[in-house]
Amino acid sequence: MASQNTVFVENKPGRLSKIARVLANSNINIRAITIADRGEYGLINILTNDPDKTHEVLTREGFSASRKHVIGVIMKDRPGALADVTEYLHGNAVNVSNAYGFILREGDMAVLILEVDDYERALKVVHTGGFHTLTLDELGDH
Amino acid sequence: MEGCYWDREIETIPREDLLRLQLDRLNKTLQIAKHSPFYRGKIPEFVSDLDALKDIPFTTKKDLRGSFPHGMLAVPLERIIRLHSSSGTTGTATVVYHTKHDIDNWTELVARSMYMTGVRKHDIFQNMMGYGLFTGGLGFHYGSERIGALTIPASSGNSKRQIRLMRDFRATVIHVTPSYALHLYPLFAEEGLNPRDQLQLRIAFLGAEPYTEETRRRIEDLYGLDAYDSYGLSEMNGPGVAFECPMKNGMHLWEDHYILEAMHPKTGKMLRDGEEGELVLTTLARNGMPIIRYRTGDVATIFPHKCPCGRTHRRISRIKGRSDDMLIIKGVNLYPMQIEKVIMDIPEVGNNYLIEIERVDYLDSINIKVEIAPETFHGSFDELEHLKKKIVDNLKTEILIQPKVTLVEPGSLPRSEGKAVRVVDKRKE
Repeated sequence: MASQNTVFVENKPGRLSKIARVLANSNINIRAITIADRGEYGLINILTNDPDKTHEVLTREGFSASRKHVIGVIMKDRPGALADVTEYLHGNAVNVSNAYGFILREGDMAVLILEVDDYERALKVVHTGGFHTLTLDELGDH
Repeated sequence: MEGCYWDREIETIPREDLLRLQLDRLNKTLQIAKHSPFYRGKIPEFVSDLDALKDIPFTTKKDLRGSFPHGMLAVPLERIIRLHSSSGTTGTATVVYHTKHDIDNWTELVARSMYMTGVRKHDIFQNMMGYGLFTGGLGFHYGSERIGALTIPASSGNSKRQIRLMRDFRATVIHVTPSYALHLYPLFAEEGLNPRDQLQLRIAFLGAEPYTEETRRRIEDLYGLDAYDSYGLSEMNGPGVAFECPMKNGMHLWEDHYILEAMHPKTGKMLRDGEEGELVLTTLARNGMPIIRYRTGDVATIFPHKCPCGRTHRRISRIKGRSDDMLIIKGVNLYPMQIEKVIMDIPEVGNNYLIEIERVDYLDSINIKVEIAPETFHGSFDELEHLKKKIVDNLKTEILIQPKVTLVEPGSLPRSEGKAVRVVDKRKE
């Protein structure tokens, strides 16, 4: 079970670098980061090795951060891996509202992070399909 | 220079006769007003001279709000044939009631005013102000019809249509806000028209918002017409309280219908002509809802000298500003308090907001920055967009104009030690 932090920021210079420095100062390692831009404001999704601490640190620094459960599907780092996973999900009517991927171990392991509408059902579908999901341990340093 | 008078006798009435007329009408007004719950017991039944006015307490906007809806009605409701109400929910709305007699008098004042500037039966008047509860629309409409001019109830907005109406029906007189007149000008070229040379416009009535002499001249040059300033407020009917004559040097305030005083907004001291102060007005011929010594909140100067046009009703200067925090945006009056009420009523909103006003392409633009409440942020766009829409919709219902709303991070707006600065008005004029 993976946990993502979403931060609400105004679209002005320096917000991203401030967040990055704040996390760095608390020795938090960012595994993945994406930004969704809505003009005047944006949402920054951050996946770190310590989601609890991340939320605590960001909130303390005055940021508006929210925690959300996401599914991290483990894939092989090879061509076709993403296609296999997404075709399977599509075939089982899993509705994905946001997705992004990153490499966990080069040449070996990649992760597809999914934000879904029905978390419990999606998790069941993923496990039934024989896929492994990301644990906190795996998000830690290797 | 002698103008042509709608009502020569009253417009050029000698001062002593005017003062006698005022005293007589004031006493009639006191007799009627005493029937309203608000004035009962607060005002004398009779005064022997106009000096006694200073002993009668002021009536304020707060009084009007507090007596909403029927507290200031002085006649049975069946005699009322029209009401005009301001925007606003409980606690901020005001209302003015009119009998047939009141509407008739209001119409006379507007007709008298329009006639003074040169409007005649053969004119074609395009009324480009909002109709509905806004008094500027219907007020001018009735006045124009009373003169017998062809009256086009165009209302506001829809620029292409405004231009086509002017062209197709050869409008000669318009009523418009100065900012809209400037905003509209470049659009004529798109319709292949040069308003100066190819339209028949002779007269423009500019109102509903403050503007400078420079702006007036610019509009006159661009459109090739004479632009006249006027003053009105819904508490005193609407338009037709004061109007410029062809001298265009101050607005004649019709003293047969209003007693005009000026006070120092802070000290309350009554001022002499020539001193700048808050205008205080008393209705002299209103039956439905007379109002006595109303603090208008508008700051101006009463001119002491006689006008060469021959009219004996004193002139007031342009309105210099407000004695309270009322804002005028796109010709609509609103108070920051109204915005605050709406915003703070929405739980997902944080504790701080800022109202920024600027002029974009000659039109007023209002941007309200609202801090989100950190505990209600759950990381979804839909939620934020939904919140933003809710704020905009609720505000639009309250203040009648559509503001831009920007969601900002909690704690990002400036905080002050003392009184919060809620409004930043970047318009320069």
